[in-house]
Amino acid sequence: MAGVSRVRRQLPTSPWLFAAPGLLVVGAFVLYPFVSTVVNSFTDRRTLIPGRFVGLANFRELIHDDMFWTGLRNSTLYIVGVVPALVVLPLLLALLVQKNIPGITFFRSAFYTPVVASIVVVGLIWVWLLDERGLVNSLLETVGIGRIGFLSDQWLLLLSAMAVTVWKGLGYYMIIYLAALANVPRELHEAAAVDGAGAVRRFLTVTVPAVRSTMVLVAALSSVAAFKVFSEVYLMAGPSGGPAGEDTTLVMLVQRTGTGLTGRVGYASALSVVVFVVTVVLMLLVLRADRRERT
Amino acid sequence: MHISRRVFALAAAALLALPLSACGSGEDGGGSTDASGKVEGDITFQTWNLRANFKPYFDGLISDFEKKYPDTHVKWIDQPAEGYADKISADAAGGTLPDVVNVSPDLVAPLARAGLALDLDKAAAKYRSEYLDGAWASHRIPGMSGTYAFPWYLNTGPLFYNKSLFKEAGLDPAQPPKTYDDLFADALKMAKQSGGKVATLANVPTIEDFGRYGVELMNKEGTGFAFNDAKGVELLTRYQELYDAKALDPQALTATPESSGKKFLTEAVAMNPGSALDLDNFKKQAPNLYKNIGITDQITSTGHVNMYVMGVMVNTKTRHTPAAVAFAHFVTDAQNQMSFAKQVAIFPSTAGSLDDPYFTEEDGTDETRVRIAAAKSLQNAVNYTPVLFSDQMKTALRNEVAKALLGKESPKAALDNAVKACDQLLQQQG
Repeated sequence: MAGVSRVRRQLPTSPWLFAAPGLLVVGAFVLYPFVSTVVNSFTDRRTLIPGRFVGLANFRELIHDDMFWTGLRNSTLYIVGVVPALVVLPLLLALLVQKNIPGITFFRSAFYTPVVASIVVVGLIWVWLLDERGLVNSLLETVGIGRIGFLSDQWLLLLSAMAVTVWKGLGYYMIIYLAALANVPRELHEAAAVDGAGAVRRFLTVTVPAVRSTMVLVAALSSVAAFKVFSEVYLMAGPSGGPAGEDTTLVMLVQRTGTGLTGRVGYASALSVVVFVVTVVLMLLVLRADRRERT
Repeated sequence: MHISRRVFALAAAALLALPLSACGSGEDGGGSTDASGKVEGDITFQTWNLRANFKPYFDGLISDFEKKYPDTHVKWIDQPAEGYADKISADAAGGTLPDVVNVSPDLVAPLARAGLALDLDKAAAKYRSEYLDGAWASHRIPGMSGTYAFPWYLNTGPLFYNKSLFKEAGLDPAQPPKTYDDLFADALKMAKQSGGKVATLANVPTIEDFGRYGVELMNKEGTGFAFNDAKGVELLTRYQELYDAKALDPQALTATPESSGKKFLTEAVAMNPGSALDLDNFKKQAPNLYKNIGITDQITSTGHVNMYVMGVMVNTKTRHTPAAVAFAHFVTDAQNQMSFAKQVAIFPSTAGSLDDPYFTEEDGTDETRVRIAAAKSLQNAVNYTPVLFSDQMKTALRNEVAKALLGKESPKAALDNAVKACDQLLQQQG
């Protein structure tokens, strides 16, 4: 009996040895930073000064921090503005380039180009285009509309950054939809056509239900990415987060608070924990909505 | 082969508990603060975005030092301008800060507070008389005794203006503004004449601007900020008028020094502060602007222009303190500063160097004119940026200034809030 319990208490070593390289990488670059962030969120650690345990003080402070609420508002607005566009537009784009007609590869590549372009380069180009004296404003002035402060108005700036996120993400999600569309049986479309369904009806009753799980995936991926947005807003609104910091997102606030020689690592970690919790909740909400639809 | 559950559980617990070691003292022994021994050993020297343009100068400098002290070897590393503070903070937190580091006063303050910058009043007091008093004092930290970096090069610059934009607005290009009253009056006129299309300034007021306007930035003890006084409110109120009249660029609220420079280069704004380095840039990138460039003195209410100070600090954790101190002094001594100043438009912080004919005798060119004027103004210039003014404080001030300009808060309320936020950050710095 003793021998049996000893065997039961022991784990085979070989699988662990095979998994060791991967586990080490995940441990060092995912698990350790994550646990470290959670631990730091309960301390008053600064960049160069080791922290003391302060309990929930950081979390209490962020409740009273106006900039936290500004960041939460902007990150949430980003989801509201970006996710519907990134669920619907790439699907329409995929339908456009799905057919194998001569020259279609060019368009597929063209739509995918922004995905592989550097976000810094893309951001700078959009800043030039939307500048007070940029191409877009020059055109608007030529047609008599006058200049619009895309980069000086708090809301227009956020909308401009959302437009860049959507423009840059279209190609990526288009590829995911193309793969899903390839699996939609052609017979279903033919049967619907025989029954007299037009293009719009076929899209709504055949295509959409067939790619619904992909739409859920795209919604989940894009909402998490939207909530964690940093680069687009940072490049277009500047390090201060737009006029009076009103375009600051939560991740920008983490960067601003926690970096530099006087960075408040403990407080920034508490903000990061909030970002993590909201992201997990978002994923669960999307998955629950999908499950409810299925049942 | 088997691994027991207990060993596995212990390994996992150790991994998870590792971050807890982040809490605690952080002391790790460190090097000696005595610089009197033999100058020997391998040291690392870090500069701030200087390799691209001055590699031959620094190669020569290092080679000269190694010849003078044959038992030393200097490894030179250079970091890009972008994210320099983040790089230093990562190195300092990770214990990999180089032995000798190029810093500015606001960077050296947190390093000194963390015990990472060597006190040169103790370790290198014999060199103190070689430097200008003001320059040596620029790396002192309020609330601490000691000086934490050798002063290196100084910089200041004039105010550039676009003569053709002045002319188009009906202003006399030969009479640029000399006082704040002139500046605000000219800016409002230019905005009116151009229908709001040409702004005069491209940036919101920074802490240096408040200093130049004569605002008391900190209390005398250096324990709290004080720029919300009547003079500070007056300056912000005047900027509010400029913003409403579009005499301040609409994108000023999100501008950086780089984007303001670009606005001036593309003739979207009429005035911009700069340095002698910019003239060459104008010549190459905007020949049309260069033809119309006007140069005038910085506007101040105090009579003291603003100057920027670069320093060279020695890491207290260096294993070769005598070599690190000797090299930091070598880089910043009068001969090498003078030689560097002839490579690029910067100014030495060593006593007597600014009396050299290079900084006093005109040869008729714009470059020399700017250099001589700047050298003259440096004799009584002030580094207005308080050494304890961190990046987070800069953002807090900037955002409150923006709220006042947008009319969301009164100038008084905005500055009160900025002072409150900066004081809180100051206290958190410890």
